[in-house]
Order: sequence, then C-alpha cells, then structure tokens
Amino acid sequence: MASKHASMFTNPVLKWVDERFPMTGMIKEHMTEYYAPKNFNFWYYFGSLAMLVLVLQIVTGIFLTMNYKPDAQFAFGSVEYIMRDVDYGWLIRYMHSTGASMFFIVVYLHMCRGLMYGSYRKPRELLWIFGMLIYLCLMGEAFFGYLLPWGQMSFWGAQVIVNIFSAIPFIGPELAVWIRGDYAIGDATLNRFFAFHVIALPLVLIGLVAAHILALHEVGSNNPDGVEIKKGPKGNRWDANAPSDGIPFHPYYTVKDIVGVVVFLMIFTAIVFFMPEMGGYFLEYNNFIPADPLKTPAHIAPVWYFTPYYSILRAVPPMFGSQFPGVIAMGLSVMIFFALPWLDRGAVKSIRYRGTLYKSYFAMFIICFIVLGYLGVKPTSVFGQFGDWAKFLDTNEIATWVARLCTVGYFAFFFLMPWYTKADKTKPEPARVTAH
Amino acid sequence: MKLKTLLVSLALVALPTIAFASGGPEVKFVGTQAERTDIESLQRGARLFVNYCVNCHSAQYMRYNRLTDLKLTEDQIKQNLMFTTDKIGETMKAAINPKDAKEWFGAAPPDLSVMARSYSAAAVTGSTDAPAEVLAAYLRGFYQDDARETGWNNLVSPNIGMPHALHELSGTNKLVEAVFKADGKEMKTDHDAEMKARAAFIASPTMASFEHHVEKKDGKVANHYVVKTLVSAAPGSMTPQQYDIAIADLVNFMSYVAEPHKAKRVQIGILMIFLLGFLLVAAIWLKKEYWKDVH
Repeated sequence: MASKHASMFTNPVLKWVDERFPMTGMIKEHMTEYYAPKNFNFWYYFGSLAMLVLVLQIVTGIFLTMNYKPDAQFAFGSVEYIMRDVDYGWLIRYMHSTGASMFFIVVYLHMCRGLMYGSYRKPRELLWIFGMLIYLCLMGEAFFGYLLPWGQMSFWGAQVIVNIFSAIPFIGPELAVWIRGDYAIGDATLNRFFAFHVIALPLVLIGLVAAHILALHEVGSNNPDGVEIKKGPKGNRWDANAPSDGIPFHPYYTVKDIVGVVVFLMIFTAIVFFMPEMGGYFLEYNNFIPADPLKTPAHIAPVWYFTPYYSILRAVPPMFGSQFPGVIAMGLSVMIFFALPWLDRGAVKSIRYRGTLYKSYFAMFIICFIVLGYLGVKPTSVFGQFGDWAKFLDTNEIATWVARLCTVGYFAFFFLMPWYTKADKTKPEPARVTAH
Repeated sequence: MKLKTLLVSLALVALPTIAFASGGPEVKFVGTQAERTDIESLQRGARLFVNYCVNCHSAQYMRYNRLTDLKLTEDQIKQNLMFTTDKIGETMKAAINPKDAKEWFGAAPPDLSVMARSYSAAAVTGSTDAPAEVLAAYLRGFYQDDARETGWNNLVSPNIGMPHALHELSGTNKLVEAVFKADGKEMKTDHDAEMKARAAFIASPTMASFEHHVEKKDGKVANHYVVKTLVSAAPGSMTPQQYDIAIADLVNFMSYVAEPHKAKRVQIGILMIFLLGFLLVAAIWLKKEYWKDVH
C-alpha cells in the first residue's frame, strides 16, 4: 500500500522503510501535523510527564526484575541485596519507588486539569474513559507492586485490601481465598502479584496509553478556554486547512515539554537522592521490617495515593453487621469518574467561564479529596474525641465525622452535578482561544 | 483503661541531653550528613556493634568487607571486628543459635541490617531523621525491673524481651513513678494535674516519659497523669556523658549499616541537581527561541 504522504526523508534507507511502513505518515499525523491549541498553560505538562514516568517505571522495573526474587523466603532479602550489592541497585530501586508515588502525583494533576477545563466533555468522552481505565490499571499496578518488597506494610496492606473483597456478601470469603491463592497472604499470593505487576498490567497499561493518545489525536486537544479550535477559523502558517489557533505539536510543544521534563526531573532527583523515604510517605518505615504474619502493626494505612478512598471506606458505618456498604461507597467513589461526561450539563467547558455555583462545588470537591487523603494516613483518633454530650453518635471520634462530612461532599460534587451545572450562571465563551 | 505514651515528647526530651553530651569535640547526634562522614564515630560504633550486638543479633545483609567504607583495611577488620566468621566477604551473623535465643528471650532477636530505618514510632513525628533518634532513646531507656524474667525493662518499649546488653557500660537505672491527679487541693482540676505532670516531665534531668491514663468507672471518667523517670542506681564503667556518646556512635553505625550508600547518594544528588540546572537554562532558551513566532 502506498503511503498517503510523500516521504519526508532523503536518506535511502529511511526512504526504503517509508515505502513499506507509514513512518512519515505517523510522524506527520502525531507530531509535525498534529495541531494543538496554542494556549496550553502549566497544567498541560502532566500528560507528557505521565508518559515519562511510565517509561522510567518500565525501564527501572526491568532492571529490578533481574535481581528480585518473588519468593516469601527471599523477597525481602533480595531487595536488600539490590540496595547493597547490586551496582547502583539502590538508585534503580529508589527511582522505582519514587516513580510510583510521582506517577500518582502527575496523574492526579492531569485529572484535575481535565476537571477544570471540562476535557471530559463531548467529543472527548471516550478519551476520558481510556484515561480512567489507565488510572484503574495504575491503582492495580501500585497495589500488586507494593506487596513485592515483603515488608510489614506490604503484607498487612495487602491483607487489608484483600479483606475488602471478603466483605462482599455470599461469595466474599471464597473470593478472597481465590485472590490470595491461600487462606492467608503467602508465597502463592506473592508469586501471582509479581506476575500481575511485571507483565499482565503493564501490557494492558501500554495498550490503554496508546488508545488514549490515538483518541486524543482523533478529537484534538482541549485547552484552558474550553473552546474547540476545529470550529474556529481555518488556515495557519503551515496548512491552509488547519485550525488558525493550532500550532504543530512538534516542534512547539516538544520543546516546551522539555522544560517541564527538566523541572520534573529536578524534583524527582531531589527526592531520589536526598529524601527517598519522603518522611515515611513514599517508603514507609514499617516496611523495613520483614513481613511477619504473627505481628500486626499498631497502625495500618495504605500508601498515600489510596488514602482518599480508604477514608471513605472507613467513614461509612457498618450496616446490618456488614462492612459491605463501605466497600460499595469506596468502589463507587472511584467508578463515578467514568460518568462525568454525562453528569455535566454546563453551557461551557472551562472553569474560566463557569459561574460561582460550579466553582464552589469544585472547590469543595478538591478540599474534600485532600482532607480525606490526609485522614486516611492518620489513625481515626487524630482529631481527638467529642465530649460526653455526643453520646448519641455511634462513635466519639471527631475524625470519623469529618471524614463522613467530606464523603458527602465528595459524592455531592458528582450526584448534584446535573443540577448545579445547569443552574450555574456562566459567562460567555470567547469565539477563539485567548492569548496564552 | 487507655494508655497513651507520648513517645514524641520522650524523643524530644532525650535530644537536649544528647546535644549537651555531644558538646565534646567529635560526636554529634545521629542522622545528618555531617556525622555520616565522622569516620571515628562510625568506627567506635562498629566496635560496640560487634562486641555487644552481634552476640545475639545478626546483620545478615551487611558484609564485613563493606566496612572498608569506614577507612579500615581488610586486615584491621579481620583482627578487630570479626568474631563470628573468618571470611571477609561474609555477612554479619549472630554468634548465638537463633533457636536458643528464641527460648531465652521469648522471641528471636531481630536482624539489625535495616533496624535503624524501621524505627516506626518515628512515623508519628514525620521527621526523616527521627527513626535514629527513637532508636537512641530506646537504647538509653533500660532500667532494672525484678518483675521481668531478664531483670530488665524499657521505658520506650515496655516489656520488651531484650535485656540491657550495655549495662556494664551504662550502669543500672531504676524507675521512679510519680502519679498526678486532681485532689481538690493543690491540683483542683484535671488541667492542674496535667500541667503539674508536664512541668515535672520537662524538668526531669534524666530520661522520662509522660503518660495520660483515662479510667472509666461507673460512667465516670477519671484522668491521671504518670511521669516516669530513670534514676541511676549503680554506676557503670562509663560516665553518663561517655555513655551518651557511645550510644550516639552505635546508632550512627546502625544508621550507616541500614543504608551504606547514603553518603554517596547525597553526593551524586548534588551533582545531578547542578547538571539539571544547566539543562534547564538551555531548555528554557530553546523554548523561547522556538516560540518567538507564536502570537
């Protein structure tokens, strides 16, 4: 099949390839002739940074696999072997452990950008769904990977998460055994989690990232103004049919993203080399103690990136003697993001032109998310207790009630969205993107 | 009854004493980069470690020949620091049989390779240097307790199975307990009792702990506050100041064992930040050049 683009190469080898593979076509379609809005701001760095972290995780992961032993007897020791006896093993391991947390920071900021500028709205619903699937996949990656060092937090964290499944009525306990491959977290669990972590989920993840980018390039990027550049005037310096407000992704955004990459790497480097434990948040102190099924740590908390959801789980009181309502609430709090494109009925996409009503709900959501995240890393006694007057409450812990309030706020943002976005007094959208 | 031991305050109280003790020429408290290069402190710590710790504990991920990091030759290591093996590439194994140890102490003495990084009570303080501080407080927290099988107890980790391995150096401490509760006279309210207890806690010249007990009886809540202090009952071969320095050395060494590459890590990090700084300038310049024509 002849390529629809004339080859951009003069080199005979590349020309030869071009006649047999759409190299020129792909470079043009996705780089030099992909027109992105010219008004991207700070928030638009995090997509390319997420790609960077994915590559870092895969490359460092490959090298870790060369010396790691997925065996309950040797796992903890093999990690220490990597940290001590493998040349620069400590660097590879710290890059991987820091990369895990940084992945979530970057993805949360990327998602926050999507929320602010309405990037999930028509025609980008599928793009948003692919993104959410990536996020779910990432949560799985993080969960499976966290068991591998086989420290106390690895073991007990996995125990807590797998027990969540055993709260499902009727099939729960059997399901938990099926997931663990044993009656307790053990060698069988470690082996299968290793398989999921190093091959199953990464494969899915890479496929989803490809789909995410293909979908993006099909519909075109949104921008901080939330207006469609494809609907604006046509024609720019490069192409008479391209949107006037678009600039070629390469070289403009590639050189801009390099700046973001270097700033990101400076932060990443500072963490890896100066504070790899990040005060016990990226590498928990308890995880330097080998897993011991007979010793339950006093305080078990998941790693920070799961804690908003964990807080929601803890906040919902057991009903009819079952923790299942909490499990449903937690599951729903993640899944509800999928429905976002159909919940939002606002007249405009970007927060720049939304009214006070939407902005208030959005601010409340962000605050709830952060407070829930904070409460999830702390014991429920963190804010102390109510006095004797509060006997009518089912628990005296102030933190539990704050978490409940935030859970309501969290869900209100989604469930009330069809109404408050419709009732919102929006400002008129500009016809074209504003100056960046 | 709810028992709340304020370990944090404990560690904080332990600090000034150590800082004072380390007014001497070489030793500072553990944890910062300056000490990591204090080779003499690390060497003294290594000697204490192999003489007092490796009898019962292993450091099974730490190889003897890595101690050349501490500016020791392999011969020096062999002659002065190796008692459990004669192969320089071996890891630090315990002298004791783990099965016997379990029988004697109730639990096998844990491996000490990464112990200094794991001291998890420190997670409460949120400081990256805190694990070592709590470890130091623990090592200084032993006191005589005839109710325990080993004859020892610990202020930081009550009822722990470990006896006081360093008692010939430190001497023997005894525990003094003072209970503060509202009595309607000097201490009218719970608040008065708490303030009085806190004052006693802060004023204690030796290591102390502050505990808040809540008792619920017949629907009534009773608060009382306990301040536990350690007082010397018999001197050891070291003065208290010397002993504090010894503990600082030991914890310093254990922090080194927990992450032998730390010093190198920080050095490379500084270089990397500089390189990235140059790259940043170049990247910003490149971006500006390209974006000149975007309006």
